[in-house]
Amino acid sequence: MERERIIPMGTTAVMERTGETMEEMYVNMGPQHPSTHGVLRLLLKLDGEYITDCIPYIGYLHRCHEKIGENRNYTQVIPYTDRLDYLASMAMNFGYVLTIERLLGVKVPERAEYMRVILAELQRIASHLIWLGTFGLDLGNFTIFMYCFREREMVLDLFESVSGQRLNYNFYRIGGMPMDFPDTWVGECRAFLDWFEPRLPEYDAILTDNILFQKRVQGIGVLAPALAVDYGLSGPMIRACGIRWDLRRNDPYSIYDRFEFEVPVFDTCDVWARYMVRRREMAESARIVRQALAQLPAGDIMAKMPKNIKPPAGQIYCRTESPRGELGFYVVSDGSVKPYRYKVRSPAYVNLSALPEMLKGCLVADLVAVLGSVDIVLGEVDR
Amino acid sequence: MTPEALLEQLKQTFGDAVTESEVKGVEVRLTVRSEASWEVCRFLRDGGFEYLNCVSGVDWMSHLEVVYDLSSLRHPNKVHLRVPVDRANPVIRTVTDLWRGANWHERECYDLFGVRFEGHPDLRRILLPEDWVGFPLRKDYTDERMVPYTDYGMEEKLVRAEAEKGAPRAVRPAAPRAPAAPPPAQEP
Repeated sequence: MERERIIPMGTTAVMERTGETMEEMYVNMGPQHPSTHGVLRLLLKLDGEYITDCIPYIGYLHRCHEKIGENRNYTQVIPYTDRLDYLASMAMNFGYVLTIERLLGVKVPERAEYMRVILAELQRIASHLIWLGTFGLDLGNFTIFMYCFREREMVLDLFESVSGQRLNYNFYRIGGMPMDFPDTWVGECRAFLDWFEPRLPEYDAILTDNILFQKRVQGIGVLAPALAVDYGLSGPMIRACGIRWDLRRNDPYSIYDRFEFEVPVFDTCDVWARYMVRRREMAESARIVRQALAQLPAGDIMAKMPKNIKPPAGQIYCRTESPRGELGFYVVSDGSVKPYRYKVRSPAYVNLSALPEMLKGCLVADLVAVLGSVDIVLGEVDR
Repeated sequence: MTPEALLEQLKQTFGDAVTESEVKGVEVRLTVRSEASWEVCRFLRDGGFEYLNCVSGVDWMSHLEVVYDLSSLRHPNKVHLRVPVDRANPVIRTVTDLWRGANWHERECYDLFGVRFEGHPDLRRILLPEDWVGFPLRKDYTDERMVPYTDYGMEEKLVRAEAEKGAPRAVRPAAPRAPAAPPPAQEP
């Protein structure tokens, strides 16, 4: 749905009509700025209060992830993938091990598949919670921040009791999972879901039904669906443009085809739509976790793997749905113990590239909301 | 359209510009000469591959390679398109006019591999500082600040373990420990 752009009413526009001239102003936002969620620099071209152009400068967090990957063996890369999207490490592990398993042609045991899905969906909830909390904080709502971090802490506790870590889990292995759930874990996970699901209406009461919040986010940061496809956006960003596209549904990997879940779609293409999509996705993820816990089979958690993982020569591009969108790993193997080429197509990198398009004609004050709605993690943008 | 039919169509349209091709599941994998890469991309985009997943580079030492991964939101087919380019003078026509999303992917490929995309609107370094010298993901890239990677003999150990599989394990005596240093005398 194409929406009318806001007509620039800033000083320069007015002066053009009146025949006077004034230069446009360049303003830097970042690299150190609390609302850029990391070290991101935006060079803004301003016409009074309105943004006419925006040039993002990234790379402040670049740490040669791909070069490092080429110099490690296949198993050693897994802990590095944690550091890509440090708010959704499980999803990053998942994407990487799935790629190598497809390259090897390994069949993962049933129980390990279920464990993977349970952890990945809990991670999606945790990631969306931190997004919701910081997004609320960006817009001046402190309560939602406290609420979201309270629930996220519970997910982290669950992860800690499984893997021993709170953020960088390094918990997926090529061929399965390293450890089974602790004995009481399934019960604890159910208890968390029982606590979490009634909390969602509370978030609605704070944000969704809040008229101040609605006025703040509706109709800004609009991106037409055709442009979204052209830019290759993915995840909640493209679903907020009314396009029902979720790799868990459209290109199912692992065992996602066994679960019933909705793919939330919203067609107003603005910040509000992105908020609504993520808000609904949390409920759907909880639904998937419940189904997976109910179906969780007993059995092995690790396939029989050689000590030296040497995939046959070849190349693969494998994509999974991370909380931020399409996470692709492109791996070229030359038959040795190290990947010959290892590339990450990170969702936030691609989503961020469309930011200037969303910002044109926006007020400077709305920039924080638009940038927040993209949900970037600079760890995976800069790699 | 089945992937086989698509490949047949591509071969008919572009003739010997398609040097290698293969169908793997729903994915068509093909190698195309760099002169024809833009035409092939346009053909594919107009033929229903409206979604550009990724543009990446590979350094094969003899040549560089630009790899496009295309898919669609409407059908399950995928295309994995490889285009070899000259290593000494890597130039290829940009596809930013076909997919806007290619902009940052191509900038990254230029930044790390040095492939110049002709007609790109804004070909600057993106991840590295603008005054960086060299293209780090090329296999022969060196930098005096680079520390040689050591895996502490892990790889050799693994290879040896595989060779010695079945052979009785040699028991190595534990290295003698250094005697503990005496506690420092306490000052009165």
